[in-house]
Amino acid sequence: MITCKVCNNQEFHGVFFCGECGSQLVLTDDKNVDTFIYPSQVRGLELDISNTIPKKLLENKTFILYCLDQEEMINIPDQVEFTIGRFVDGQVITPDVDLNLYEAFDKGVSRLHATIRINPEKNKIHVIDLGSANGSSVNGYEIPANSEVPLDHGDVLTLGKFRMKVILPKELK
Amino acid sequence: MPDKTDFYDRLNIGTGASEEAIKKAYRLAVRKTHPDVNRNEGATQLFLDIQEAYKILSDPNRKGAYDDGRGSHETPPAVHTAIEFSQDTLIRLDEPQIVYSMIDIVSTLAEKDTTDLPLNISFVLDNSTSMNGARMDILKSATKEIIQELNEDDIISVISFNDRAEVLLSSQSHPPIAHVESSINSLFAEGGTEIFQGLEAAFEEIRKNSPFDYVNHIILITDGHTYGDEENCITLARSAAKLDIGISGLGIGIEWNDEFIDKLCALTGGQCMFIQELNQVKDFLKHSITSLKEAYSRHVSLEIIPAPGVNLLSAFRILPEALPLPHQEEFSLGILKKDKPHRILFEFLVNPVPEEIDQAIIASGEFILKRKPRDYTIPFTLNRPIVAELEEPQPPPEEIFRAISHLTFYRLQEKAQKDIASGNPGTAFQRLINLSSHLMAKGEESLAKIAMHEADYIKSHNNFSPTGKKQLKYGTIRLMLPDKT
Repeated sequence: MITCKVCNNQEFHGVFFCGECGSQLVLTDDKNVDTFIYPSQVRGLELDISNTIPKKLLENKTFILYCLDQEEMINIPDQVEFTIGRFVDGQVITPDVDLNLYEAFDKGVSRLHATIRINPEKNKIHVIDLGSANGSSVNGYEIPANSEVPLDHGDVLTLGKFRMKVILPKELK
Repeated sequence: MPDKTDFYDRLNIGTGASEEAIKKAYRLAVRKTHPDVNRNEGATQLFLDIQEAYKILSDPNRKGAYDDGRGSHETPPAVHTAIEFSQDTLIRLDEPQIVYSMIDIVSTLAEKDTTDLPLNISFVLDNSTSMNGARMDILKSATKEIIQELNEDDIISVISFNDRAEVLLSSQSHPPIAHVESSINSLFAEGGTEIFQGLEAAFEEIRKNSPFDYVNHIILITDGHTYGDEENCITLARSAAKLDIGISGLGIGIEWNDEFIDKLCALTGGQCMFIQELNQVKDFLKHSITSLKEAYSRHVSLEIIPAPGVNLLSAFRILPEALPLPHQEEFSLGILKKDKPHRILFEFLVNPVPEEIDQAIIASGEFILKRKPRDYTIPFTLNRPIVAELEEPQPPPEEIFRAISHLTFYRLQEKAQKDIASGNPGTAFQRLINLSSHLMAKGEESLAKIAMHEADYIKSHNNFSPTGKKQLKYGTIRLMLPDKT
């Protein structure tokens, strides 16, 4: 049996999607993925985070999103897949990560802006723009909506005008 | 000269012919058709056809492959089948595993080839009280209009039903316009809804003509809920399927019983549609007639027998119209259109296979294609190699992955309905929220909004809204069509 990482439901081997919550259970090699190669020179912003993120935290996390304007780490849930956006009163679907705390409204972040998908086995991280109003970009390159785009250590992910740096603690010396 | 697609026919020999006999037949055929000798028109093509046939039949390996593919000792119909699995190779496990298989059957003939088969159509119109007013007016005008568009050799009958059925137009071809007008105009709305009455009358009208000569179809239009006669209807649908008679249903508004009509259609290979706007009645009729007109074969059915140790968990028709199929091993798929595939997605549970076996037999089955003058059987086997370990993980094939992804959406809304039925609106709410976010991620914004709206509705009403429930169901079904755009 395989266990859904989102809702802990058990499914038989060979099942692609969790029958209870609909989450994807298998890896897909999205054809689009390899076609998006973002030149490393635009991966910029060398950054000293040793003062802002406690060392202990770095050791425990596999993946960190760092808000560049507020210079602080964004709280992300310990899930393999989560949505990022802005919480709005009365909205039925709420994002897992609420960027309101970081002045996201002014920076044009949609209510449900993007999904982050982490694949711990393959050590790969992808971002999917959920058709947001102001779009998303990686290292300054606009990404298409609804496609998986890989994220690497040091990449700058921008939702609307909201900039975050992708940090993979194991890549840090 | 008839087109000889079969290699044995080309050489004018039986399928049991020996190597020697094939050689002999070939020499004889060459002598007759060699362009140097035979200067008739078409002789060169004939000569080339014979070369092609001999090349295959004289080579034991290729002959074997050809014989296997040929399946039977008959001229194969112009039909292709294709099979795809969720995994190329299975991994040996000591627990059961799921395997999906997607099976296509398609007629290789282009639309313009072969002449159209005549239709034998019966329109079954609901004239219960609730149809009064605009619904009745639109239904009358749409039916009259569509009858005018049928061909001269098509057979038409029109039935109306409320608590009982009335044959407005008895089974006939090319009825006089005045007669059609006056009989349909006589329709007025009164009484209850007993679908069985209408279906039975239509069934009798269709059976007045030999089903073998026509594409037979009952088109049911209703806005109501039938009570107490569902079982009779289902039994009738099963008999209809055996006689190659399809049933399609159109539900107007929100009162009608979608699960029931879906079942009638799924049993007979028809299609079911839900409309909210009255002006869509005509589109539905037009669409139904047009697609019946594209028939290559008046009927195709599929029989599937899971191997020992394998359970067939579910079957879903993806093409030509998406619809969940009833839980059985023989499926009536309706007409086979020219150049447009039927596609069925099967979900199997495969139990562990003994160590010494390196091939998992999943199921065997056959398509039964009904054409004049006779029926054809196209057998197939579903099996996959089984290994201890894979060198590299296999990404699932795109098409089948896509189909299953959309099937998951359908299942989520279905489960949410069950949650409501078993008194768990909280679970249903959460499920619809999940469904909505998955739909959003796939770019299905409008359907995602409907799911979100329904979740909201459930929060305050502990139940689906009548419209939203149907919208969500038929919306997720529609996603399965690969060319839904």
